[in-house]
Amino acid sequence: MVSKALNKKFDRIKAREEYGIEPKRVRSRALRKLLSNRLAVVGLIIFSIITLASIFAPLLTQWDPGKINLRAMLQPPSAEHWFGTDKTGRDVFARVLYGGRVSILVGLGSALLSAIVGVSIGLYAGYRGGWFDTVTLRISELFMAFPQIILVLMLVSIVGQSLFNLIIIFVVSGWGAMYRLARARMLSLREEEYVQALQSFGLSTARICYKHVLPNTLGPIMVNITLTTAMFILAEAGLSFLGLGVPLSIPTWGNILNVAQDIRVLQNNWWMWLPVGAIISLFVLSVNFIGDGLRDSADPNLQG
Amino acid sequence: MLTYIIRRILILIPMLFGISFLVYLGLEFTPGDAVSHMIPPDLANQVSAEKLEAIRESLGLNKSFLHRYWSWLSHAVRGDFGHSISGGVSISKIVLDRLPATLELSAAALIISTILGIMLGTYSALHKGTYTDSGLTAVGMLGVSIPEFFFGLVAILIFALKLGWLPVGGRLMPGMESWIDHLPNIILPALVLSLMMTAGVMRYSRSSMLDALNKEFVKTARAKGMPEWRVNFLHGFRVALTPVVVIIGFRLPTLIGGSVIIEEVFQWPGVGAEFIQAVRGQDYPLVMMIALFSVFAMLMASLIVDVLTAWIDPRVRLGEE
Repeated sequence: MVSKALNKKFDRIKAREEYGIEPKRVRSRALRKLLSNRLAVVGLIIFSIITLASIFAPLLTQWDPGKINLRAMLQPPSAEHWFGTDKTGRDVFARVLYGGRVSILVGLGSALLSAIVGVSIGLYAGYRGGWFDTVTLRISELFMAFPQIILVLMLVSIVGQSLFNLIIIFVVSGWGAMYRLARARMLSLREEEYVQALQSFGLSTARICYKHVLPNTLGPIMVNITLTTAMFILAEAGLSFLGLGVPLSIPTWGNILNVAQDIRVLQNNWWMWLPVGAIISLFVLSVNFIGDGLRDSADPNLQG
Repeated sequence: MLTYIIRRILILIPMLFGISFLVYLGLEFTPGDAVSHMIPPDLANQVSAEKLEAIRESLGLNKSFLHRYWSWLSHAVRGDFGHSISGGVSISKIVLDRLPATLELSAAALIISTILGIMLGTYSALHKGTYTDSGLTAVGMLGVSIPEFFFGLVAILIFALKLGWLPVGGRLMPGMESWIDHLPNIILPALVLSLMMTAGVMRYSRSSMLDALNKEFVKTARAKGMPEWRVNFLHGFRVALTPVVVIIGFRLPTLIGGSVIIEEVFQWPGVGAEFIQAVRGQDYPLVMMIALFSVFAMLMASLIVDVLTAWIDPRVRLGEE
């Protein structure tokens, strides 16, 4: 029965090829696999919509996210204010759009920076070995022994709250995992013949690490960057919700949710926190879908 | 076995040294020192500089960094963790007061997520490819994507505020001391806290079960004509369970991290809520000590997981020798 269905499918493909209308296929095998994964495509679409809406926020809303309007306090959603207004009459929809800019920047930026720091140290340490490897490995173990949120909150209490500090703190808490990953990949790639050939040509360590081995580690690293982005966006939301993340004067998704700590807002003004929470969940979900799709397409064992 | 355990403990010791050094270094970077915290700001002007110096001298604060670290560490090892800045209560008393609440909540969440996760994951694996399976996988994805505190807020809105079935938060009411009395209070936070872990355990036990069902001995059992449920549970499930037990240990960071925010959302008077209060109030010694305790708890958990794994699977302990 299965073979019958398969035969039909092949017949259709053959017929289309004969007519010369077989659609052009995407070149990269990994990209093709990613695009054939339905959930990953859904993820990419949601991700793009939310990111673009945040970037082009001024085109989508006429309201200023910080402008206080005491005549329009606590209005429920209407045609004028799509997500209603908050306690000082600021438009919640505008705040969600502009807040997305900062939240996505913090999530994506910290994940990329962690990757840059972790991967560059990890590749070098894995290749060179010796005392540099031992020391960096021990340091990464120290940082990874902390539960992430405890480490982040501890560092917040030491260096104080600001957008810049938060990104640095996230990098401090996130580089270890990237370092581990890059180092482990390097340890196995180091034994490959092409690396030994490069060595015998007398190429410098940095060239071998970053020009020739790095591209071969990018698959798992990309997966990790995506999943780390999701983690940092959740972390920012949680910290700002507690009032310990990005300073309250800057709108972020977490800071908008901050008002829900007040039980009266929680009960009576659902529009002030429910849509934002749903958008954070949707965004993180889309990033996780992309990460899962990337994992399947980057894994050479599954490559068809 | 014993040598394995001893070796694992010996590895932990330099680790703990490193962590405590890092934490003390952090304490060193915070503004002020013990003396400036001892004297109220409005009195600080009246105390002469020489007198402040004398106090510092008598407390050993003028000695070198390493010297101070050593004396702090030797006190900590003997169980003297210092005092919190606000209130001046000893830190060990604060933590011991708050610990039962946290343990209670964590244990409840751990039990719920383990049972629910293994059940759903096994069910999913046995019905691979059906709509229920993909539905459960999607719910699992959603479970790791919703911020836990947001899920908590929605739960409070629905079950506490709108329906009025369960209390909004808190733990012990006056006159209600036994655990039966605050059972309604723990239901919501424990369920919310277990959400993310359930998703993880479910995903892992699904793939572990699928793995086990593909093993040769399962096929053999089936070929011998054993009833399907016996194959699934006596052969598949038992083998699949071993790695799942391990993964539950690795969920501990999620549990500790999650409980910090969930305790705050539900006003649950545990160590996590105290930690957030300390960070807000810039009570540095308390912040550092709670951080140190959490690392200690995690290292202990990973030690227990390692020993359990070695006990279940002799290849682990023999492989290292």
